[in-house]
Amino acid sequence: MNIGDSVEKKDHAPKMGGAAIYAADYPVEGVLFGKLLHSGKARARIVEIRLPEIQEGYFVVDKNDVPGDNNVNIVKDDTPVFARETVEYIGDPILMVVGPDEKETERILKAIEVVYEELPPVINIRDYDTVFFDYNYGKGDLETAFAEADKVYTEQFETGYQEQAYLETQGMIAEPHPNKITVHGSMQCPYYVKGAVERAMGYTKEQVQIKQDTTGGGFGGKEAFPSILACQVAVAANKAGKPVRVIFDRREDMEFTSKRHPSLCTYKVAIKNGKITAMDIDVLFNGGAYTTLSAVVLQRGIICASGVYKVDNLMVRGRAVKTNLVPSGAYRGFGAPQTFFAVEMILDHIAKDLGVDSLQFKLDNLVQQDDATSTGGMYHFPVPIPQMVEKIDAASDYWVKRKEYAKPQTGRYRRGIGSSIFFHGAGFTGSGERDHIKAVTHLHKFPNGNVEILVSNSDMGQGLKTTFSKIVAHELDLPYDKIIIENPDTDRVPDSGPTVASRSLMTVGELLRRAAIKLREAWVDGEDQIVEERFKEPDFLIPFFLDKFQGDAYPTYAWGVNAIEVEVDTYTGITAVLGAWGCFDVGTPVDLNVVVGQMEGGFLQGIGYASIEQMTADDKGRIRNNSFSDYIIPTSMDVPKLNVIMHVEKYPDGPYGAKGAGELPLVGAPGAYAGALEQALGEPINKVPFSMDDTMKVLQRVRV
Amino acid sequence: MIFILNGKETSYTGNPSARLLDVLRDEFRLTGVKCGCKEGECGACSVIMNGLLVNSCMVAMGTVSGCTITTIEGYRETSRYKVLDKAFSSVSAVQCGFCIPGMVLAAECILAKNPHPTEDEIRIGISGNLCRCTGYNAIVNAIAIAAKEGNGIW
Amino acid sequence: MVEYYQPTTLKEALEIRVSKNVVPYAGGTDLMIEGNENTTYLFLNKVCELCRIYEDSGYVHIGATATYEKILSSDIVPQILKESVSQIAAPAIRNLGTMGGNIGNGSAKADTALVCFAVDAKLVLASVNGTRIVNIDEFYLGRKKLDLAENELITEILIPKDNLSNYCYSKVGARNALAISRVSFAGVLILKDGNISNISCAFGAVADTVLRYKDVEKMLIGKTIEEASALKQDFLSEYATRIVPIKGRVSIEYRKAVCLNLLTDFLTKNDI
Repeated sequence: MNIGDSVEKKDHAPKMGGAAIYAADYPVEGVLFGKLLHSGKARARIVEIRLPEIQEGYFVVDKNDVPGDNNVNIVKDDTPVFARETVEYIGDPILMVVGPDEKETERILKAIEVVYEELPPVINIRDYDTVFFDYNYGKGDLETAFAEADKVYTEQFETGYQEQAYLETQGMIAEPHPNKITVHGSMQCPYYVKGAVERAMGYTKEQVQIKQDTTGGGFGGKEAFPSILACQVAVAANKAGKPVRVIFDRREDMEFTSKRHPSLCTYKVAIKNGKITAMDIDVLFNGGAYTTLSAVVLQRGIICASGVYKVDNLMVRGRAVKTNLVPSGAYRGFGAPQTFFAVEMILDHIAKDLGVDSLQFKLDNLVQQDDATSTGGMYHFPVPIPQMVEKIDAASDYWVKRKEYAKPQTGRYRRGIGSSIFFHGAGFTGSGERDHIKAVTHLHKFPNGNVEILVSNSDMGQGLKTTFSKIVAHELDLPYDKIIIENPDTDRVPDSGPTVASRSLMTVGELLRRAAIKLREAWVDGEDQIVEERFKEPDFLIPFFLDKFQGDAYPTYAWGVNAIEVEVDTYTGITAVLGAWGCFDVGTPVDLNVVVGQMEGGFLQGIGYASIEQMTADDKGRIRNNSFSDYIIPTSMDVPKLNVIMHVEKYPDGPYGAKGAGELPLVGAPGAYAGALEQALGEPINKVPFSMDDTMKVLQRVRV
Repeated sequence: MIFILNGKETSYTGNPSARLLDVLRDEFRLTGVKCGCKEGECGACSVIMNGLLVNSCMVAMGTVSGCTITTIEGYRETSRYKVLDKAFSSVSAVQCGFCIPGMVLAAECILAKNPHPTEDEIRIGISGNLCRCTGYNAIVNAIAIAAKEGNGIW
Repeated sequence: MVEYYQPTTLKEALEIRVSKNVVPYAGGTDLMIEGNENTTYLFLNKVCELCRIYEDSGYVHIGATATYEKILSSDIVPQILKESVSQIAAPAIRNLGTMGGNIGNGSAKADTALVCFAVDAKLVLASVNGTRIVNIDEFYLGRKKLDLAENELITEILIPKDNLSNYCYSKVGARNALAISRVSFAGVLILKDGNISNISCAFGAVADTVLRYKDVEKMLIGKTIEEASALKQDFLSEYATRIVPIKGRVSIEYRKAVCLNLLTDFLTKNDI
C-alpha cells in the first residue's frame, strides 16, 4: 500500500457523530464558571476596582492571587496573567469572576466598576513610539547596485488583521489537586501551556499536568494564547479550591485574542537589464500591546521578504512595534503572507512598467537549486516552480486569459487573472529545533502488539493522529487499527515540540518513522517495550545564527503557485472569484485526502484574507468586527471553483519525502487575488484586504 | 413544553425564553450540538425541527411545544447517517470536526428534499454552515457521494 | 418572572398583547441574537391565522408569521418577493424567519421591507380594538420607529397581485450567503399601451428607512420609453441629490455610487 493512499481518519467517527468531547462539552457538576473582566480602555492606569457584594462561593481572582510569577511565559516576560498597574489594550484581562452559577457570575462581572486613569493610546501603526524588536540583515553591495540600476522602484504595501475564526472558541478548564494542578482545553502546544502554568503557580514540573482536548481549529490562534488562559484558570482554581472553566463566547474571542500582524512594508527594487539586482526592504509589523510571538513572526516575515527571487544585493530591516491594541500573534503563514504579498505585487508593478508579462518576469528571476537563500543559506533541493506553473496554466489557461484580460475592457463586468509564486520555509526558523525544542518521541508497544504513539503534538483537524499512525503502521507492517494515539497528556507524553511552523509531520513524523524502525528491529513478541527517538539536525544544514540572520533558516521549502481569476461588477464593486487554482509541493503526501484538505482550507483562508476579511480598530482602539456577521469569512457559496493540484518534490529528511505543509497554501493567495483585481480594474493595488468599497473608489476615479 | 426529542417524548418545564441550544446542551447533555457564535451566523448548533434545518441558538424554548427535534445524537442512529458517514470518511471531510454535526444535519435536509442535488444546490444547502478548516470542497463532495451511493434511501 | 404565552388564536394573542408586557415573537431570528432570558415573549407560531398565504382579487396576503421557507414554496407569491427572500441569510434562518419579524424589526436593511416599498405593499395591523390597514411607506416613521401601537400586531402583509413581473432586484452584501445587505435596490416598471403607467425605485440598507421618492418617479409616469430616455439624465440627477446615505460598514460614497448604478441599470434594462 502506498503511504499516500487515504484511510479513514483516526478521529473521523467520534467527530462525525458528535461524540467527540471539546472543552465546553465536559460535565459542569462541581465546576465553577469563570468570566474574565477585560479592560475597556486601550491604555490606562487602574486606579480602583470597585467590587459589589459577593456571596459565598463566588470569588474575584486577580494579580494578587497569582502564587508564582505574574508573567505568562511567551518568549519574553511582558504578558501578565492578570493586569498589573496598567492596562495596555481593550481586552487586557484585569480579573476573573468565578462561581457556581454562570448567570450570577455574569451579573457580578457586570456590577464591577473599574476606575481608570486614561493615558494616551497608540492606535495607528504609524504613530508607534515603542519598538519591540528591530532586526536587520543583508548581503552584497546595495549602494552600487542601486547606483548602477536602470530604474529603481519604491512602493509601500499594507496588510490588515486576520482573525483565525476557528469554529470552536478558546476554552480551558483547571482542576486543582493537593500540590498539583491539571489544566485541559483547546490548545496546540501542551508543553508551552505547561511551562506557563508552572511559572504562574510557582510549581515544579511534576506538579503540573496539561491535557489537550479535542480542538476545534487553531491556525496559530491557539499556539500562545491558551497559555494565558490556562494560567488564569489555574490561579482561579487554586484560589477557589475547585475546578474552574472559562469558555470564551464568540465576541470575546474575536475582540480579545491574538490575530495576524497587520503590516506596513516598503520595498525598493533595483532593475538592470530586465533583472532584479537589489532589494532594500523595510518591514513594519503591528505587534499590539505585548511582545508575545512578535519576534518570531517578524523573523520569518523578514527572512521571506525577497520571495522566491535571486537577489544578490539585499538589505532587509524589520521592526515589530507596540500599539495599544490586542497583541498580534501566530496565524498560519506567520509573517510570510505579509511580505510575500508585498514582493509579489511590486514585481507585478515593475513588470507592467517594463512592458513584460509579470509571471514570466518573475520566472526569469527565480532562484534555483544550489542558489543562496536570502540569509546566505542554500536551496539544497530542486525548485519546482516552473513545472508547477505549467500545471497551473494547464488547469486554468492562465497565459491565454492573462493576455485576453489585458485588453481594454468596457462593460459592466471586468475580468482579471493574477498569479503568485511563493514558498514556505518548512519547520521552525533557524536552529530552534536543535537548540530549543529538542524534540523527543516515544513509541510504547504493549504485550498484545498494539503500539501507542506518545508525542505532544496536537491534532486540531489537520490529521496528525491519522498521518502519524500511518507512518508507524507502515514501518511496523501493522494494521492501522493497532496504532493508538490519544490527545497529548503531559503526564504521559514527552515533549516533541509545539504544533506550529509546519513542523509536525515533517519533523516529528520523521522521528516516529525512525522510532518505528527501531522498534521493528528490537521487537519481541509479548513484551512491553518503549522506544525513544530524539531530534537530530540534518547534516546538510548550514548552521543558522539568529544574531546575524545567516545560514539555512529552514532545512527545506514547500513551494506554491497560485492563479486566481476574478470578475468585478463595476456597478457594485463586488469581486466574484471565478476560479482559484493552487499547485502545492509539500513533498510526498502522507495521506492524500488529508493533505489536499489542508491545501483547500488554507487556500480559502488566504483568499478571505485578501478580499472579504476586514477587521479594524476604531480610534479608541476597539475592534468593531467582533461577530461572524461583521467579520466575514467565506461560506460554501463564495469560492465554488477552488482547485488544488499537488506536485511532489521529495524531501529526503522528511517521512517518505514529506515536508512542512500546513501553512503554505495560505501564503500566495493575496498576491494572486490582488494581481487579478489589478488587471480587472486597470489600477495598482497596494493593500489587502481590498474591499468592495476600495474597488468602487478606484472605479469612480477611473471613470472620472 | 412537551416535544419529541430524538424520537422520545420529552418534557421541559424551565424558562420558555431560554435558548434551545442551551437547553439541549446543558439540560439534556446533548453536547453534539455545538455553540459557535450564538447569533445564528455559523450553523454549528444546527438541529432538525419538524423536518427543517434550524439554528438551535435562534429558537426559544417556548416555540418547541409539539415539535419534533432531532440532534446529531438521534440522527447518528439512522441508516441515512451511515451513508453520510461512509461518504464523509471516504474523502476525509472531517478536520477539526466542530462544524460537522451541523453539516451532517444540513446534508440530511438537502437530501430529504432533493435526493439528487446539483453541486450548486448542495452549496446553497450548507451555505449557513461555516467551516474554517476544509474550504468546503470535501464536504460538498461527500454529500454528492452520499446522494449517489444512497441508492434510494432518500 | 418570565411568563409563557403561546396562544392558538389571533384573538387570544391580541388580548395578551394589550394586557401583558410581552415582546411579539414570530421566527425569533432577530430577537434571539440578543436572546434576553428575562424577556417574556408572545410566541405566535401556533396562531394559524397569522401564517397563511392566500390571495383575493387584488392582493396576495402573506401571514406575518409565515416563514420565508413557506413564502418560497408558495405558488402565488410574486417572483420579486421570492427573489428577495431566497437571498436572506441561509436555509436555517429561512426556515424560521418571517416577514412580520423582518418588517417589525424596523430596520432599513430588511430585505422584504425593500420589496414592500417597491410594490406599494400594505400592512394589516390588528389590536383588540380592531384592524387597520397601513401603507408601507406610512408605517416606517424613521430609524427603527414604526407606526405600530403597543397593543398592535402585524397580521398580514398585502402584496399587489398584478403588474410585478417587470422588476429588478439587487442585493449587495459582504458575501454570497449569510450577508446583511449593504445596499439593496428594487424597481418595478409597468408599461400600458406604450406609456409608463407606473415606475417605482426603492433603495434599502443605505439610510434610516427604505428610500423611495414618488414625486421624482412622477417625472416618467405617462411618458413613452423614448420620452423617458430623454429625461433619463435629469431623472438620475434628481436621485443623486435626493439620496443621502449614512455611513455603515461601507462608506457614504460607496452607497451612493451603487444606488445610482443600480438605478441606471434598471432604466437601461427597460431601454430607457
